[in-house]
Amino acid sequence: MASIDAISRNLMLDSLKEYAKRRIPFDLIRELDEKNEFPADILKEMYDPEILGVHLLMIPEEYGGISGGTFDIYRVCEALARIDLGIATGVFATFLGTDPLNVGGTEEQKDKWLRRIATEKLLVAYAATEADAGSDLINLRTRAEHVVKNGKIAGYLISGNKQWISNGGVADMYTVLAMAPGGPSWFIVERDMEGFSPNKHEDKHGIRLSNTAGLSLDNVYVPAENLIGMEEGKGLLQAQAVFGYTRVMVAAFGLGAGAEAMEHAIRYSQQRIQAGTPLCDKQGYTHKLIVPNYVHMEAARSYIEYTSLRLDGGEHGLQTEGAIAKYSASEWGNKAADDAIQALGGYGYTKDFPVEKIKRDIKITCIYEGTSEVLEMTIYRGRWQEHLKSRGKYYLDMADQLDQLHAKVPGVGAHASALALRALGAVLEECRVQKLTRHQHVTFKLGRLIAAAEVAACFSRAAAEDKYSETVRFDKQGWQAMARVMAREAALNTAMEGLALVLGAADTAGDLSDAVNIEAVQAEQKGMIADMDIVAAKLKQTFKAK
Amino acid sequence: MNIVVCVKQVPDTTEVKINPETGTLIRAGVPSIINPYDHFALQAALELKKKHNFKVTLVSMGPPQAKSVVQLGMALGADEGILLSDMAFAGSDTWATSYALAKAIKKIGKVDMIFTGMQAIDGDTAQTGPGVAQQLGMAQITFCEHLEVDGRRIIARKLIDGGHELVEARPPVLLTMIMHKDYVPVYPSFLSVNASLKKPFHVWNAADIGAEEQYLGLKGSPTQVDRIYPPPQREKAAMFSGSGSEGAEKIMQIMKQEHFLD
Repeated sequence: MASIDAISRNLMLDSLKEYAKRRIPFDLIRELDEKNEFPADILKEMYDPEILGVHLLMIPEEYGGISGGTFDIYRVCEALARIDLGIATGVFATFLGTDPLNVGGTEEQKDKWLRRIATEKLLVAYAATEADAGSDLINLRTRAEHVVKNGKIAGYLISGNKQWISNGGVADMYTVLAMAPGGPSWFIVERDMEGFSPNKHEDKHGIRLSNTAGLSLDNVYVPAENLIGMEEGKGLLQAQAVFGYTRVMVAAFGLGAGAEAMEHAIRYSQQRIQAGTPLCDKQGYTHKLIVPNYVHMEAARSYIEYTSLRLDGGEHGLQTEGAIAKYSASEWGNKAADDAIQALGGYGYTKDFPVEKIKRDIKITCIYEGTSEVLEMTIYRGRWQEHLKSRGKYYLDMADQLDQLHAKVPGVGAHASALALRALGAVLEECRVQKLTRHQHVTFKLGRLIAAAEVAACFSRAAAEDKYSETVRFDKQGWQAMARVMAREAALNTAMEGLALVLGAADTAGDLSDAVNIEAVQAEQKGMIADMDIVAAKLKQTFKAK
Repeated sequence: MNIVVCVKQVPDTTEVKINPETGTLIRAGVPSIINPYDHFALQAALELKKKHNFKVTLVSMGPPQAKSVVQLGMALGADEGILLSDMAFAGSDTWATSYALAKAIKKIGKVDMIFTGMQAIDGDTAQTGPGVAQQLGMAQITFCEHLEVDGRRIIARKLIDGGHELVEARPPVLLTMIMHKDYVPVYPSFLSVNASLKKPFHVWNAADIGAEEQYLGLKGSPTQVDRIYPPPQREKAAMFSGSGSEGAEKIMQIMKQEHFLD
């Protein structure tokens, strides 16, 4: 997937931000949030090719779009999340709903539907989830039965119920997953088709500007030409093909909303004076509530960009990478938003300040497009295979690469990242030898350790680059200090938690405490506080109080 | 008519901080934007284009990434863009910049109107626009807020102390624009940004515009910046609300407290 040039991309982002500044001020967002109201007019404007046309990123140029790549879409998703995650979800639902067409549609289908989405400001919804079919789509109950005319399949009668569908009550067009005689398949359903009706709009904890509703399909007749790909049974493959990519988008939501909450806190902390000095100058405040969270946000950013660029370079799937990106950004974004409330104290707990809403909104990023627990399993499964295939060398080789990097660029925490990867390799091997992955808890926890160590390694690599990505707002001194903080933490957690995990599941940990090299990991902690001081100072300088 | 709009990319000064020790700007992580006055000037030119079907060409001088402001203008409707980019231009003051811009505008050919912003928010000199007019031997109207064109008559409403002045000119003329509600900047749609990539865009260096090196860059700049420093911070003012007499009473109280009335 090609991407747009940096200048054009940033002009588009400027247009989006200016639109939001003018049209969607916080007071309006707050009012809509209270009323649980979907701003249809705003979404229509955002889809209007004359005004913004954000959805055109998803549509190839030959059908009237602008052929955005993953990196472009990540940037726009981050910007949307900084505006409002509910609005972002409304846009995302169209992206998602368009995906089965992009992936599996025939030339005629793309020409017809993608062109209509591009020009007619169609809101789209992606309807897969059911009461008994969430992450596990095998239990799909919605049925599509053949309607035969003159010996040919003329169409389908679709019946069933969908739930928690973003844009469910407001979309013009739906891509619906149903069990056809040949297997799970995607169908295009239009809002005005007979037998189709959306249910009530859910009253949600957060993202209240996003419409979420169930769908009832009661013998909805859909012509055969609306079967995406004109072939039954391809639905699950078509859904899975884009998980790497769609999870990068939700990762960008976690990053955008989490970083936005943090930046509110950083600006606030410069004005709030307690005991004679501003909060931003107190380690008890910054090194607990701000620095670790922002470091993880930037680390997740480096991983999101790494995955995006690989997808844009033509690689397919990248399901494990997409899962790591989303898991890291959403879990840490959620924590960052929680700590932002704490950082604003009483103000943070009121609805007058945006962090309260961000905290409610961001929780969804740990749930939709694969819950954090499903992702822990996905990450574990993907990398466990690599560990076995490489006979335990997967992380040891990666650690060697990081140590080579450390020899060249010593200031980016590459050695600490290498320690984390080596410890991880040792823990995985001990789990294999002692057959500990029979415990589900072990596998999920491994997923978590894998994500942390890989993200730390990725951050070390990114911080060692000569020229940073257009998104990095810090100088080398600042970003490298962040990478070191991240790597030290990853080394410590992988070694200690990995060891504890094995000890908790087995009678003995064998030589694991030597293999995870606790001593070296502890020695590596030297300089942590000085680095956190640097990060705190850079954050204050970059996000100065308004 | 042919219109040239001069635009400049500037750091978003609301985000810029000065390092108090070195006296230099901390530019790391500070976003670049189009000079806001230039955005109004661009909007004014595009309004005339819409009404009278004039041709609008953009000219900017800066490093390669300054293409951004030129492309923004093209996405909003300008026909063509030119970026003057050459290490020889680096460090130019307002005189050397006016010289280079004037050379480029001469190369463009017949130009009837030139628009610039009143000033740029990074240097705040308000000299470059008038400098270009001077270099080209062209009439100029500064601080314009609204324009009408009627055949060959250009009528500008300009801001003066305590009121407005209507000034009429015949082309060619250079106009510097202030920020006024008649030309509130707009931003392009994603599609227009994408389409602007297909419009003619040229990068010219010093040789392309026939500029002599001795008049460019630091060497060609009669003025040099000696020092940049933040003004000393003023103490916060106390604000009172309420009726006039209540306010007056409070002020009297404070003046007594502070012994102004002893």
